[in-house]
Amino acid sequence: MTAARGYLRYTAGKLGGAAVSLLAVLVTSFFLFRIIPGDPVKALTHGTPTTAGQLASLRRQFGLDEPLWRQFTEYCAKALTGDLGISYQFRAPVGELIAEKAPATLLLTGVAVLVYSAVGLWLGARSAWRHGGLGDRINTGVALTLWSVPSFWLGLLLIITFSVGIGPVPGLFPTGGMESGDATGLGYAIDVAHHMVLPVLTLVAVGYAQTLLVMRSSLLDEMGGDYLTTARAKGLRDAVVRRRHAVPNALLPTVTMIFINLGHVAAGSILVETVFSWPGVGGLFYQALSVPDLPLVQGLFMVFAGAMILMNLLADLVYPLLDPRVRR
Amino acid sequence: MSGSPARARRREAAARLWRAYRAHRAGLFGLGVLVLIAAAALAAPLLVEGDVRKVTGTPGGPLEPPSARFPLGTDQFGRPLLGLLLWGARISLTVGLLAAALSVAIGAAVGIVAGHYGGWFATLLMRITDWFLVMPTLVLAIVLATVMSRDVWTVIVAIGVTSWPTTARLVRAQTIAVESRPYIERAKALGGGHRHIMGRHVLPNVLPLVLAQTTLGISAAILTEATLAFLGLGDPMVISWGGMLQEAREAGAVSSGHWWYLAPPGLAIALVALAFTLCGRAIEKVLDPRLGVGR
Amino acid sequence: MVAEVPSRSRKPSRSCAVIALAAALAGVPQHSVRAADGGGAKVLTIAVSQSVDSLSPFLAQRLVSTTVHRLAYEYLTNYDARDGHTIPGLATGWKSSASKLTWTYAIRKNSRWSDGRRTTAHDAAWTFNKMMSDEKAATANGSFIANFRKVTAPDSRTLVIELKKPQATMTALDVPIVPKHIWEKVGDFSVFNNDQRYPIVGNGPFIITDFKVDRYLRLKANKHFWRGTPKFDELLLKFYKDGDAAVAALRKGEVSFVQGLVPAQAAALKKTAHIKVNDAPGRRFLALAVNPGARAKDGRTFGTGHKALLDPAVRKALFHAVDRETIVKTLLQDHAVEGAGYIPPRYRAYFWKPGPEQKRAYNPRKAATLLDRAGYRKNSDGRRVGKNGKPLTFRLLCHATDPADTKIGKYLYDAWRELGIETRMECRDNVSDPWLKGDYDLAFDGWSVNPDPDFVLAIHTCAALPATPRDTGSTDNFICDRKFDELYARQIAEYDPVKRAEVVKRMQSRLYDLGYMNILAYPNAVEAYRTDHIGSITTMPEAAGNLWGQDGYWSWWSAEPAAGHGGPGGSDGSDGSATEVVVGIGAVVAVVAVAGLLIALRRRVTADDRE
Repeated sequence: MTAARGYLRYTAGKLGGAAVSLLAVLVTSFFLFRIIPGDPVKALTHGTPTTAGQLASLRRQFGLDEPLWRQFTEYCAKALTGDLGISYQFRAPVGELIAEKAPATLLLTGVAVLVYSAVGLWLGARSAWRHGGLGDRINTGVALTLWSVPSFWLGLLLIITFSVGIGPVPGLFPTGGMESGDATGLGYAIDVAHHMVLPVLTLVAVGYAQTLLVMRSSLLDEMGGDYLTTARAKGLRDAVVRRRHAVPNALLPTVTMIFINLGHVAAGSILVETVFSWPGVGGLFYQALSVPDLPLVQGLFMVFAGAMILMNLLADLVYPLLDPRVRR
Repeated sequence: MSGSPARARRREAAARLWRAYRAHRAGLFGLGVLVLIAAAALAAPLLVEGDVRKVTGTPGGPLEPPSARFPLGTDQFGRPLLGLLLWGARISLTVGLLAAALSVAIGAAVGIVAGHYGGWFATLLMRITDWFLVMPTLVLAIVLATVMSRDVWTVIVAIGVTSWPTTARLVRAQTIAVESRPYIERAKALGGGHRHIMGRHVLPNVLPLVLAQTTLGISAAILTEATLAFLGLGDPMVISWGGMLQEAREAGAVSSGHWWYLAPPGLAIALVALAFTLCGRAIEKVLDPRLGVGR
Repeated sequence: MVAEVPSRSRKPSRSCAVIALAAALAGVPQHSVRAADGGGAKVLTIAVSQSVDSLSPFLAQRLVSTTVHRLAYEYLTNYDARDGHTIPGLATGWKSSASKLTWTYAIRKNSRWSDGRRTTAHDAAWTFNKMMSDEKAATANGSFIANFRKVTAPDSRTLVIELKKPQATMTALDVPIVPKHIWEKVGDFSVFNNDQRYPIVGNGPFIITDFKVDRYLRLKANKHFWRGTPKFDELLLKFYKDGDAAVAALRKGEVSFVQGLVPAQAAALKKTAHIKVNDAPGRRFLALAVNPGARAKDGRTFGTGHKALLDPAVRKALFHAVDRETIVKTLLQDHAVEGAGYIPPRYRAYFWKPGPEQKRAYNPRKAATLLDRAGYRKNSDGRRVGKNGKPLTFRLLCHATDPADTKIGKYLYDAWRELGIETRMECRDNVSDPWLKGDYDLAFDGWSVNPDPDFVLAIHTCAALPATPRDTGSTDNFICDRKFDELYARQIAEYDPVKRAEVVKRMQSRLYDLGYMNILAYPNAVEAYRTDHIGSITTMPEAAGNLWGQDGYWSWWSAEPAAGHGGPGGSDGSDGSATEVVVGIGAVVAVVAVAGLLIALRRRVTADDRE
């Protein structure tokens, strides 16, 4: 009873915190992008014959002729009802634009996070169990090295090696994009998977080290725990001890981290999407920033930060369910 | 209180630290690599003949593959890539060091102040910290780099002001731990002011942590610098490793299969980042043997 | 060590799945899928880097979008592929009244919308009237109708446009004419992107059938196009954000055409079999603009332009110190032509270049003398010092995203340094802010010139200045010169092409002498296509011209498939299907393996909880 009530109060507190953070993001994203120098109207019309009247008309359409505080109140009122405005350059509702691009990003980075979490957990557990051994040292050494590699560079090298092809290596994978163009059904799924191999490989290679290290260290902590000695003393076999006790407990911090990584998904995709021409939100953000397409950058920033806040919240909420010790 | 016993004590502590550090082979390897690269970067003007920054009247033809004359080949203007790599080390290391220093300085200041004062002020500071923590760092850095003019300082500031929150949280926790020790109570009772306690007691105790954070931060900062330069947000007039990668891509190194143009800067970045990470982890282990591995 | 057994036995299954997945996906034949679906259709795939901003001709401003509109809608007139002179489009003929204020166009009988209706003068009149009455519909092409008084269609074959003032550009109205019966149903033109229902009704050589933002845009040949059906059945625009990825795709045959090549790419592609590199004179100029002291129409000046640059001798000296040949040869690696007059040589009728005594030729010694005489002598550090005792330092505004800017900037830095002048490069993603505020000394500038040069000339007239310092004008570089303005007024009212060209040349001469716009080079359009996909294709100008971004639809309309080409890769579909199934199963297995692992881990957690 009390435990349940405690969890409720805990949840309410976390929810409140998340809501405050979201509001802060709402305000920040408005002002953060207003300080970007650059006149969106001039940037959009550059290179095409434009009259002063057209410029004024565009400014009116975008609401840029109004005083800043009016723009701000309007933006807040709209954003609170879920309306993120209309993109300057694409002339489409920002919400729609993001919804159109988000699946591609979610697919790519979601799969990558799942794969590298699985790889990291597995290798981390192995490493911890035989810590200090040659296998452990090679394992952590490789992981740390890959972690230090710039992801965009690794992506480029993969493209050179496996898309363009070097010497005897033929170009096995497409050089970029998400699909060839006109496949349907199962063919389409395969086509997309084919395009995904290299970007996912890049993300996994530079990403799994973190999971590995956290898993390894928390498992090492657990193995030092008294209860393991007790369990062993009870005559349980090593493998059982490990599977039943040490690994599940060590999973806690790692699971939290995976949630937080999922929060990074949207923002973290910018680089890989650039290198692999992946049609996701990362590329959209970069494109929007150079105009600056204010409604679009604001909307994307909210999505990026919102994803982080949401995943942190989920991690906070799930943690006590997994580990009753945290519950008060 | 005279300074000399304290100084001796500190020297003693440093020696102890070094002895413990020496036991970590990976850390020593990292340190060795760093010393080598730093020496090469410092000696770049002596090692590289002529002004590699000049784009006209260059020694080689454009995009020559590695040869005896140009061990790493040449870039799109015909400049020797080895020379560029050495010059690039200067900028990449400088930006990495300064950005990490800035980030850790902000983080340490916020952490100590929040940990020392407590109350609503600390709550507010930590809320801001938490809030920065959920901000997508790369996105913020990109925005800052876009806002400010293209130069090295922009990149340093962009990295520094976006990456401090982790340090702030760690330092705050450490500060609270230190301040709960009895001798701080004693110092307070003896009338030590806030500044005295923070400067004389808390700061020396969090310094090792700050050192470890800085070392780890540098590798992150070097990677971020390369990333920003790669996205075209660096100063195009200076030579940096990230900038070299960006130029290589722009010059069509990928489709033409000019791997020698792309490989060295990326390897250099990875090597330096790895070296700093290894050093940082070794320092962490020395400070807290129980920590094992962690980040 | 018994404890190790379970973990070891688990290991192979998982890593096998991963390896199997990678191997299986690697084995997917690159284009089996496409050919199976295409059923032998001849597809021409074009790699593009720019995102389409809008499919509505009333909103679209980017080159990629206007190129698509050229293909999907007819304009009143077109430009000849050989030399760019005006030829009939939707209009078969035109004449102007004696007052020069009324233009009458005869509209073609044999053009049909793709939904079967006839294209009439009413469609054209409605298009122009919509733009005149609704400012939201004037977003993209408003400049064309700014001088229109009235547009009517007395019958379905006649279009009459009445002007406020004479306008020589009436045969260069690059406005897509849209079907009235479709577009009159549109409500808010500022948010309608013409992407709701496919195929999009048009009357050009191709019809837009499908579009996914930043993924692809598909057009199919218009069988009833009045000039004749295109030879390719389909055009597919594929989006590559990274130019190099597009080039790699060309090498592999994933695409048939790539544009915007950098020198190294062109050099490498020239050596590749089945690829032709088209290195053609471009329509752009690359210039260095000098801030003449920003000012508004109300006479107020603003900005922080360097005062020394107002001295013609200083401007002259700066450009005597620049070797344009080096820029073209070394930095642009001969993919450009040395800059001279304002309009690129591609437009032969308007091209002008300075005579030997007028030309600011490369002569560093003359540059130094000019500066010495103007009172800027070198101090002990070798820096030129102004009258106020301060060494000369100029800011140079550059586009951070344009490699040509940064390359040439590096060279200018060296060249001017030898002259004793420091340069501070200010490279930005978006230069419009300092530019509009007049906060620059020198700036990289460049425009794409249309067959009719009116617009690129208009941006240097006093009328283009902002009304007040707080407004934005259409001016390029705040130039306001009475003599230039007089000539501008003469050319816009001159309906005789030859006489008009003479005036345009005099304007360029005047602009050259002012020294505020210094043309460095005319960059080439460097493109490449696969000769095993495209058998023949028309460049514009025909002798040596570009393919992408033509002033017309000639390249894609005329392109003929190479013998035996189905689509890029052109492989057969029957073989692929078996592999597809295998690979599909592989992919499914891999996904299930990963999911299973996660579920297993979770279950262990919950099991532990229960204990």
